[in-house]
Amino acid sequence: MLPLLRAWRQRALILALTRRELQARYRNGVLGYFWSLVNPLLLLLVYATVFRLVFKPRADVHPYSLFLFSGVLTWGFVSSALLDAAETFRANGPLLRKTTVAPEVFPAVAVGARLSHLLLALPVLAAAILVAGILGAVRPSLEALAFPAVVFLLTLAVFGIALAVSSLAVHFGDVRDLVANLLTLAFFLTPILYPIDSVPDRFRPWLRANPFATFFAAIHDSAFFFRPIPAADWLWMTGTALVCLGVGAAIFERLRDSIAEEA
Amino acid sequence: MSETSASRAVVVDHVTKLYRRYGRKHTVGTLKSALLAGRARHSLSPDSAVPALVDVSFQVDPGETLGIVGPNGSGKSTLLKLLAGIVRPTQGSVTVEGRLGALLELGAGFHPEISGRENIEINGLLLGLTRRQIAQRFDEIVRFAELEEFLDAPLKTYSSGMAVRLGFSIAAHSDPDVLLVDEVLAVGDERFAHRCLEKFAEFERAGKTLLLVSHDLALVAEHCRRALWLDGGRLLADGPAAETVARYRERVAQEEGKGRLEEGERRGDAETRGRGEGIGSGAATIEQVRLLDGAGKPAGRVRSGEAARLEMEVDAPSPLSDFVFGFALTTVAGSVVFGTNTDLEGFQPAQFAGRAVVGLEIPSLTLAPGVYCVDTAIHARDGAPYDYRRDVLRFEVTADRGTAGVWSPPRRWSFGGAIRWKT
Repeated sequence: MLPLLRAWRQRALILALTRRELQARYRNGVLGYFWSLVNPLLLLLVYATVFRLVFKPRADVHPYSLFLFSGVLTWGFVSSALLDAAETFRANGPLLRKTTVAPEVFPAVAVGARLSHLLLALPVLAAAILVAGILGAVRPSLEALAFPAVVFLLTLAVFGIALAVSSLAVHFGDVRDLVANLLTLAFFLTPILYPIDSVPDRFRPWLRANPFATFFAAIHDSAFFFRPIPAADWLWMTGTALVCLGVGAAIFERLRDSIAEEA
Repeated sequence: MSETSASRAVVVDHVTKLYRRYGRKHTVGTLKSALLAGRARHSLSPDSAVPALVDVSFQVDPGETLGIVGPNGSGKSTLLKLLAGIVRPTQGSVTVEGRLGALLELGAGFHPEISGRENIEINGLLLGLTRRQIAQRFDEIVRFAELEEFLDAPLKTYSSGMAVRLGFSIAAHSDPDVLLVDEVLAVGDERFAHRCLEKFAEFERAGKTLLLVSHDLALVAEHCRRALWLDGGRLLADGPAAETVARYRERVAQEEGKGRLEEGERRGDAETRGRGEGIGSGAATIEQVRLLDGAGKPAGRVRSGEAARLEMEVDAPSPLSDFVFGFALTTVAGSVVFGTNTDLEGFQPAQFAGRAVVGLEIPSLTLAPGVYCVDTAIHARDGAPYDYRRDVLRFEVTADRGTAGVWSPPRRWSFGGAIRWKT
């Protein structure tokens, strides 16, 4: 758990570096912010079009584009954070070799910057829900307020995985490719394009073995169905977050000393 | 000897550092192959090691300024990284008391797209300052770097000199108890280098500890009290800076000489022989050589036309009645600019026993700007050397205007007739 403690001690630096990442990206002000939304919106448009016009959408998830929105947005955070984590030590090699900064800072910044992008896109999601509500397509309720809590637990899990991925990537050249492929696979094995209820009963326990599945089921519960997240799911998510943090921190700690030498 | 290690600023105790080479890392180190072969653990264990430091021990007292010299690849930077905690010793231990500041690269962590102001904050945090400390020292940092007007411009619009000034200013104001500096004065103009040195002196007066890695031997000899000489990862010398630097120079000269000698022998060229670096019977020895400026302070730099004094501390373990002291100045390329000795100037030797100081005062050093080397010698009147040291000290002569050659006498132009100058 030492890496977590060190990351916490360096929170001022992590915040400053995260802000720097955002500033460097958003230096064109409003236009920069707009461009950061283009990617998820475009993706959403593609999914919504393909799945409505090409495949038959399911009647139980209507409007389908709103259903997709929260999951696709959140998955964008998960996958980009982990891909960034796989490259962060290579990208920050000079800083690691030439300053006394704790290496935990870098995966934390990778996750923090991508989380910020997600949070910045949330007003758009909220607006979409509101518009759909006004049009009578969905009936939003206060259950949507559970969404930030789910994102919080998911962020802890992602940070744990990012610790493992970033430190392993220093030693193994193929970790980034491996992560990219696993993420593609996980995208389809996670209820993002479909609700978890539509998975046949006998496969559902297997699906739950995917650490992300419950998080996305909970995201749909809160931000689309506006129904309470089952207590078992809260427990499962908390447990998953703690296990990811524990295992990630242990791997990181084991490899920590060689990061500055090998990066 | 009675001092305990608790009063030391830095303790390096039998430190060995091996840089590890991991399994087939340089070809294709993949997690897939490691997992498939069921040898992930093995792949994470080093299978060969390159020693960067071997059994190095030394201690530094608070308030000491320690220079570290040695050729490239001798382990100097590894030593600083160990002290900074960036890498860990393979064996032995490293202890640093107090707040540590590491200036291993000026402006490491600068981001080109954001403003100087924001870079100051991030760099300060990287150096371990809190936000409040950065806010308090902000104006001072900016003033020292002389960047008031450019504070809100993105860093990519700065010249490299400006970025260097900013980097140094932040580090200098991070107020560490122990500051590690790696060869950062090589960049930046002379004025800036001078201000850095002033800052170091201020640092020393404040009782802070400074460890300075530099290839600028004159700088180490002038500004450090003590110096370490590392070579091939081993500590070859630890002592007064001038002495360590002299020994290191001697070695470099010997190796160069050896190289030339071999080259000369191959070419059958006798000219390169007999340069006589650090040779002699040892009946008398040169302990230390220094250059003092007009104010009598040791200097690495003298202004053209000002007074200078060359001094050598000498020692004759048993009394001598036949002895000559000599000084010579040469260019870096090796041509003699000036040379004299007590015999040429009519001194008749009577007795030389024990320690003594020989000084040569030059009321006006009318040399052209450039770097010069000092050779010193003690020898018998028939020329048999007791101790002959070539290039034992280098110094720089500065002037407002450059001139050609080595001599820069006091002078005046005059023009008669049909010549006019723009005024």
